[in-house]
Amino acid sequence: MTNGAHIQTIGVSHTYKGGGTPALGQIDLEICPGEALALIGRSGCGKSTLLHILSGLSLPTRGKVLVDGTRITEPSPSRIMMFQAPSLYPWMSVEQNVGLGLRFNGKMREAGSRIPEVLELVELGDYAKRNVQDLSGGQQQRVALARSLALKPDVLLLDEPLSALDAFTRHALQRDIRKICKELGITLVLVTHDINEAVMMADRALVMKADPGDIEAEISIPIAGDRLPSMAAFGDARRELVAAYEAAAGMAMAEAQSFISQDSLNTPAPIDRLAAN
Amino acid sequence: MNQASPITTREAGFTPAYSPASNKAFLSEGMKSRIGGGLESLGYTLAGMCLLLAVWWLGGRMVAASDDLYAFADFAPAPTLVRLTDMIRTGEAFQITVPSLYRIASGLFWAIAIGVPVGILVGAIAGFRKLTNVPFQFLRMISPLSWMPIAVMAFATWEGAIVFLIAVAAIWPVLFSTASGLRRIEPSWFKVARNLGARPWHMLFVIILPAISQDILSGIRLALGVAWIILVPAEYLGVTSGLGYAINDARDTLEYDRLAATVVIIGVIGFSLDSLLQLAIAKLSWLRSS
Repeated sequence: MTNGAHIQTIGVSHTYKGGGTPALGQIDLEICPGEALALIGRSGCGKSTLLHILSGLSLPTRGKVLVDGTRITEPSPSRIMMFQAPSLYPWMSVEQNVGLGLRFNGKMREAGSRIPEVLELVELGDYAKRNVQDLSGGQQQRVALARSLALKPDVLLLDEPLSALDAFTRHALQRDIRKICKELGITLVLVTHDINEAVMMADRALVMKADPGDIEAEISIPIAGDRLPSMAAFGDARRELVAAYEAAAGMAMAEAQSFISQDSLNTPAPIDRLAAN
Repeated sequence: MNQASPITTREAGFTPAYSPASNKAFLSEGMKSRIGGGLESLGYTLAGMCLLLAVWWLGGRMVAASDDLYAFADFAPAPTLVRLTDMIRTGEAFQITVPSLYRIASGLFWAIAIGVPVGILVGAIAGFRKLTNVPFQFLRMISPLSWMPIAVMAFATWEGAIVFLIAVAAIWPVLFSTASGLRRIEPSWFKVARNLGARPWHMLFVIILPAISQDILSGIRLALGVAWIILVPAEYLGVTSGLGYAINDARDTLEYDRLAATVVIIGVIGFSLDSLLQLAIAKLSWLRSS
């Protein structure tokens, strides 16, 4: 069990080399220990840049990031990032991939108990000896999650790691990651284009706008317990987030109200409605 | 961590990609297909060898029938194979091969010892790549044998000069394969490793070298081919051992059957070494075929 980490950004802005417009304007935000925060916005709004800065993989052009009061200047095994691709090492088995962080940090003594523990947690206990190339996309992301958890991180940073998965696997992983982070007290920061994913996983969402990347709105998502798209509170949070997203993007989202819920499942899809007319 | 409970995902459509029954069926189908493919390949190999022997035999008959060339009739398959058997029986084949293999191994060792680290630098550091691109391309295009006079002057022994020539020829495939392998590494592998706390030596030994192992081996395979080609003319230098020397000696003593038998030995050993490396590449390959 970790206590999660407190994250604070003070006047963080970033301009890429040779880039005119700053990718990030001036970001001041605070994330509480154990909180799940979603950064949501259109492509190019700087949400991935901000996530890289929070991880220490990139340094801001101006401003600073404090984690538990300490300024970060480099990546740390206590702040683990998961990327869109699982980025597993194909010449290694599942357990070798999961134990990599322990190996890099001289903690191989813990590997014997730690690796089976995290593999059980992500439901891949029977797959330890298997080569990662033999696994499906969802299973590979579970291995990446287990690899991240093996180091007992205080912060888990997700850069759209579920976007390439099918709907069922994505839904299961959204629920699982949130549940694991809550149970272990890990601070979760999630970057996503997907509003449903933000409502499914986050306690709070920050809607970002582009040119320069900045926080446009902050939406609280206070849904206790397991979250299901069919819940009324889920629908309310989603509508609020869609409105903020549209305001930040400066355009309306097509079919904003149609959503996979019990009601919408009974409503013909737009193309079917056209055919019926 | 103990507080966390496993999460059930099967109801949400999480399906294992593997089941023992499907795997067994797949294996038997795969085995049949492999056996069929192997037999077909063997058939083609035997047919190709028969064709080569037929051309050789025909050439031998034509040489024997010619008034101008009949002195070279011992190049034909029958005298060659008789002499080859004799060379194997007396240990001469082994005697002339060992020094050559030693020189090849030494030359390849230096080509790998220099080529792999320099290739890693070329692949990893853009500035170094730009700096060395023209000089390396220029040096690569110089025929290795044109270094012969310089090698003879620079090295105290003939042995050293030959190893130098082999290394000069073999270094480029190793260096360029390593560099190109490094440039094709998935960038996220570095990012993830940094994030997991990898130090520079972890990056090198745990990520980079396994990731480019196939590229390095492919480079070594190409290097071996080049080195084997360079070996024979290089051994025409002052040494009194090796396959190149044996060929020169057989020509001088007009023992054409011994000359042809030595050529056969060169071909067989070169082919065997290449096959061994091909096998090693297949064995060490981590990339699964689809």
